[in-house]
Amino acid sequence: MVDGVTNRALPKVEISIKNTNFKTSTNALGTFQIKGEIPPGNQFLILKKTGFTIVRLPILLENAKEVNIPLIPLETDFTDERQQIATIALGDDDLNNEEDRGDYSISGLLAASKDIFLKAAAYDFSSTFFRPRGLDSRYGNVLINGIKMNKLYDGRPQWGDWGGLNDAQRNRTFTMGLDANDYTFGNLAGTTNINMRASQYQRGGKISYAAASRTYTGRIMATYNSGLGLNGWAYSISLGRRFGKSGYVEGTPYDANSLFIAVEKKIDSAHSLSFSAIYTPNRRGRGTALTQEVIDLKGNDYNPSWGYQDGEMRSSRVRGIKEPILMGNHFWKLSDNIEINTNIAYQFGTIANSRLDNGGTRLVLSSDGQESYLGGARNPLPNYYQNLSSYFLRDKNPSAAGYQLAYTAEQAFLNDGQLDWDALYAANQLSSAQGGNSVYALQEDVVRENRLSGNILLRTKINANINTQSGLKFIRSKSQNFARIRDLLGGTGFLDIDSFAENDISFPGNKAQSNLRNRNRIVGEDDHYKYDYDLDASIISVFGQAQFRYDHWDGFLSGKLGSTSYQRTGNYENGYFPGNRSFGESRRPHFLEYGFKGGLTYKFTGRHVFDFHAGYIAEAPTLRNTFPNARQNNNVTTDISTEKIGSLDASYIYRSPKLKGRLTGYFMQFKQGSDVSFFFTQSMQGIDDGYAFVQEIMTGVNRRNFGLELGVESQIMPTLKLKAAVAIGQNMYINNPNLYYTSDDIDGEVRFGDGMARLQNLHVSGGPERAYQIGFEYSDPDYWCIGATVNYFKNAYLGVSNLRRSAAFAMDGDGQPLNAYDPAFAKVLLKQEKLGGYTLVNIIGGKSWRIGGKYVGFFLLLNNVLDQNYKTGGFESSRIGDYANLKTEKERDRPLFGNRYFLGYGATFYANVYFRF
Amino acid sequence: MRKWILICLTMTFFQQCVNVDDFDVPKGDFEEPQLDGEIVTIASVKGSVAQNTEGIVTFEDTNTYMEGYVISSDEGGNFFEELILQNKPKNPTDGITVLIDENPLFTRFNFGRKVYVKLDGLTATTSNGVIGLGLRDGIRLENIPASLLNEYVIRAEETAKITPLKTAVKDFSEAKENLYIQLDNAQFSQYDVLGENRKTFASGASDEFDGERLLESCASPATAILSTSTFSDFKSLLLPKGNGSLKGVLTRDFYDEYYIVSVNSPADISFDGERCDPLSVSCGKLDQEGEKVLFSEDFERLTRNKLVTGNGWTNFAQAGTNVWETYVATGGNASLGVSARMDASGSGDESSINWLITPGIDLTENPTTRLRFQTSTSFADSSVLEVLVSNDWDGDPETVTNATWQLLNDAYIAKNSDFFGEWPGSGVVDLSCLSGTVHVAFKYTGNGFDNFDGVYEIDNIRITAE
Repeated sequence: MVDGVTNRALPKVEISIKNTNFKTSTNALGTFQIKGEIPPGNQFLILKKTGFTIVRLPILLENAKEVNIPLIPLETDFTDERQQIATIALGDDDLNNEEDRGDYSISGLLAASKDIFLKAAAYDFSSTFFRPRGLDSRYGNVLINGIKMNKLYDGRPQWGDWGGLNDAQRNRTFTMGLDANDYTFGNLAGTTNINMRASQYQRGGKISYAAASRTYTGRIMATYNSGLGLNGWAYSISLGRRFGKSGYVEGTPYDANSLFIAVEKKIDSAHSLSFSAIYTPNRRGRGTALTQEVIDLKGNDYNPSWGYQDGEMRSSRVRGIKEPILMGNHFWKLSDNIEINTNIAYQFGTIANSRLDNGGTRLVLSSDGQESYLGGARNPLPNYYQNLSSYFLRDKNPSAAGYQLAYTAEQAFLNDGQLDWDALYAANQLSSAQGGNSVYALQEDVVRENRLSGNILLRTKINANINTQSGLKFIRSKSQNFARIRDLLGGTGFLDIDSFAENDISFPGNKAQSNLRNRNRIVGEDDHYKYDYDLDASIISVFGQAQFRYDHWDGFLSGKLGSTSYQRTGNYENGYFPGNRSFGESRRPHFLEYGFKGGLTYKFTGRHVFDFHAGYIAEAPTLRNTFPNARQNNNVTTDISTEKIGSLDASYIYRSPKLKGRLTGYFMQFKQGSDVSFFFTQSMQGIDDGYAFVQEIMTGVNRRNFGLELGVESQIMPTLKLKAAVAIGQNMYINNPNLYYTSDDIDGEVRFGDGMARLQNLHVSGGPERAYQIGFEYSDPDYWCIGATVNYFKNAYLGVSNLRRSAAFAMDGDGQPLNAYDPAFAKVLLKQEKLGGYTLVNIIGGKSWRIGGKYVGFFLLLNNVLDQNYKTGGFESSRIGDYANLKTEKERDRPLFGNRYFLGYGATFYANVYFRF
Repeated sequence: MRKWILICLTMTFFQQCVNVDDFDVPKGDFEEPQLDGEIVTIASVKGSVAQNTEGIVTFEDTNTYMEGYVISSDEGGNFFEELILQNKPKNPTDGITVLIDENPLFTRFNFGRKVYVKLDGLTATTSNGVIGLGLRDGIRLENIPASLLNEYVIRAEETAKITPLKTAVKDFSEAKENLYIQLDNAQFSQYDVLGENRKTFASGASDEFDGERLLESCASPATAILSTSTFSDFKSLLLPKGNGSLKGVLTRDFYDEYYIVSVNSPADISFDGERCDPLSVSCGKLDQEGEKVLFSEDFERLTRNKLVTGNGWTNFAQAGTNVWETYVATGGNASLGVSARMDASGSGDESSINWLITPGIDLTENPTTRLRFQTSTSFADSSVLEVLVSNDWDGDPETVTNATWQLLNDAYIAKNSDFFGEWPGSGVVDLSCLSGTVHVAFKYTGNGFDNFDGVYEIDNIRITAE
């Protein structure tokens, strides 16, 4: 057997004879032998290797006669290319961040799966933010060379840290759900290990170019792998660049470079040492969630965050990621039965998100030396609610002039509706000419993290039936979190005070100070301001696992135990929280983490398999949920605790040559979860005038996810496969969690009524709970293929406002019960919005050619060819959280603070040409 | 190696330029606007309004631009969605308000900026007491929409140095409305800045929309109101204690009832000089009255609603038409039988200063003299009742204001915050550190502003000695 492109021998090709139990694989020279009493006559030889097309070779067997099969070239598989397209979704589509939506796409995690259902989820469901089993990506682990890469801040993998290296990330293994994984205890959504060891790549190179219309417009990648040479050395290098001035969403520039270098030395038969470095600096413009009013006027590719400057689109919301990873791995094969694997990784660098700061002021002293801060401007974004026609028609019976204002506002928004950079510059230049500071600035919220992580893994083979895996893991992370001026926009300096602070007479000018130790400081570009604090995290844990394999059943048992502790250290003494309330070290909460799980697979026959998993996990809260107002103070969430998760699933798997399928039922319960969010509201009932920027802290959140997954495919012809996938789930809150609010305007914690949010029986927001797919794949022996899927989605639920479900909802502005409260109408107002259903049709096709021993291929993917407009999710605004105001909103033709939606892409394409050598 | 050169070259080729956010600062060269019409004065716009019988004018097909200089700034949040323009940087004679549905405005229309306002399409009329320009909405004005701002309000390059017009409160007039003025020798009322409860510009519990504070002048008894928005950036600063000059825009209150002055910034108030308050005296307080009664008044000898006379009283109205008179009330806000009160509210008088003065007491004869009385308020608002003493007054009403009066700070006087039905006592106030023949005066000060006229009541005045 040889590689169809390189003509090199291919080891480990699985070989079987159709409808028999004869099996073997090729040796290092690429040759094989099948001996035994094979039924004579026409038979099919099946040749399989990951990354290559399956070959079905007809052979004529005669009794007791040896058959010699000449050289068989295996060609690279389209499925593999296709898999890479799904992995595009990794760094490419995940442009929303925590402030926009709570659910990262999970498709990247699943891309390596061979499961029919999960492939559908990864390739076709992901654009809707469908989440298998309703699980957030923080419940999935992403490992590179055995080291967990999920961020500690929110528990989610940051795909941007290794995006654009698709060719270097071909070697992936995915462990579904709670199934046993060799490297880690894992989590509910499964574990992907990306193997980036130089020795694991096949010798050869690849250059590819892609054009697309979703996020980037072009991508070039080049990869070369040496393979493991006779001298024991292997190296691998991959370069990539993705670029675009604007994606499907307007004003989303894309500028990403990727570099990967790996070297491995096989010292002797027992030891191997590998080193790798990943560096993928990227900067991308971001979109935002929109209200229906804006969508109706501007369409679903509208993005208010950009404007023209110098004739070029400039985005005010750019995310820059620069977090190189250095990694060393040692593999030690003590004996045939014992392996020790030591991994260590160091990651450092920054993630910076830009946005406009419109709170620029100047210090003005009164004649007796009192400080005040004059200036500040309102939000300059064109979709600011006071710019929209709904604002001018907010009163019940608008006057004629009101209608005129609404009309002119709407026309202005329709005709322009983009950010006016020149006006921002002009304002700053004018201010500067008069000796003032910048009124506007482009700021960045920066996380500069240093993280050292490592593990030692021990794998032993006790006997033919029993394997064990165990490991010790540690993570030590220190991040500095701060805001910084990226661009003064033509001004000379920016006064570092909180322009929203209401000065206290007893404490003049102090509340506004970002840092009491450096009052009224004027900052320039690249200076830190607003907030500056460190977050430390220490994690240490052990896991152990035993796997059993017998003829009719397999099983495993795993357990883990660990400790996580966090600490915040304030570098600024915040004016609202003087002393050690904000400055210096916070207390250090510790969390005891543990988990145990088990699985059993029972094989009635090769065709009928039953599979069960059960697990219980206590998992530490994220940093984000532990320090609810980290930008201002050292507070730790009251009653924060580990989240307790119980999970059960059962599957029936059917496998026959013509039909394969899996049906799974799952049930998961989450208890004592927590959630922190931030927003500006006018419904802090009974607290001053009700207006406040608040932190909303919810603890004791209990949820339940259950449902069914089905994936079926039928090979009706050797070239034609039909497939179908179905997901039906329900992800609900099952209790009324505890809810409190804090704010710099308010002393202590505010609890309304009984201090609970009435969330029971509401759906947890996310992608669609129901997804259906039918499709086909046709693979022509002449190296072209085409496939199409029709996908239908429904039952996506909007994120609810917790404030509206608190006792504050039924209160008047003075904090007393509202007289005109109508419980029946309240029910109408609080009905959770459900999105869907819509149909997306995706088409995929490709062709490849062999030219003089090299290999050229072409691939085209058309997504949403019907150009269906759809919403992937959204959330209610907590700006208005009380009955009286919400009723007024409901009575308006268009609400001022309506639900905001995340929008799916219209018709998009992705085309890729590649050259392998 | 050849492979790598190829790869590197390819990468360089494809290193396509994506400018994510590296931009140069745009050049700020100002182009003087080319106006295609005639330039008119603010006075001519005001004249058109005055000539119209309805007092409202909509400009159409005039092809004219009104020029003016910006004297308001919304930087401190004390002006909102309006530009106040005056005709000249120095010695202005006319001012006007332009209503604009946009904020902030100071980032383009800075203080002193010369602007041209295109008149065609706009309407001028009286709006909140002053002449304004905006879009017509019935007989009222609506703000010019932000999207039409560039069309209607055009900036010139010039930013002039505005010289404030020096004036005095007594000279406030319609002609000076919407001008940038300067008041000298001004100070805030001592009751707002010197006591324990020093007031802020506009963050008091009772400040709605605006905080209104009494401005006094050393030169004349006339007072003015400084009005500060509760949305201003300096609303919670404490009022400066001293005396000095103030620069701001003279305009009318929301309901067009009185003049107000609004400042652009707290730095426009330079009150760092010595105050010009009346003198005060304090001999301390005593535990009990003396046995010898030198003067006593409970008003029971008089009938209701009569001028307070007799028993040696001098009832003198320095300003205003109302006077101290007797009254009887029952119920929740009862009098103490017959009592005396001073009520200027609803008088319509621009100023009310009313004295009620006891006969003289000879301190040489009675060196242990002490005073006691009771007071009450019925919504004092911001009017003031003071207790004063003088030993150089000759008893002639004509010369009251010429005499030296000292405040008797030890006497407690009912406050606005006291319950209106209560009659708190003054305490027994020692007068023994005074000499000569002493008169005690109850002096009421109010002015024409609703919020500064209220009611004070007094009763059971006793002057005793051992």
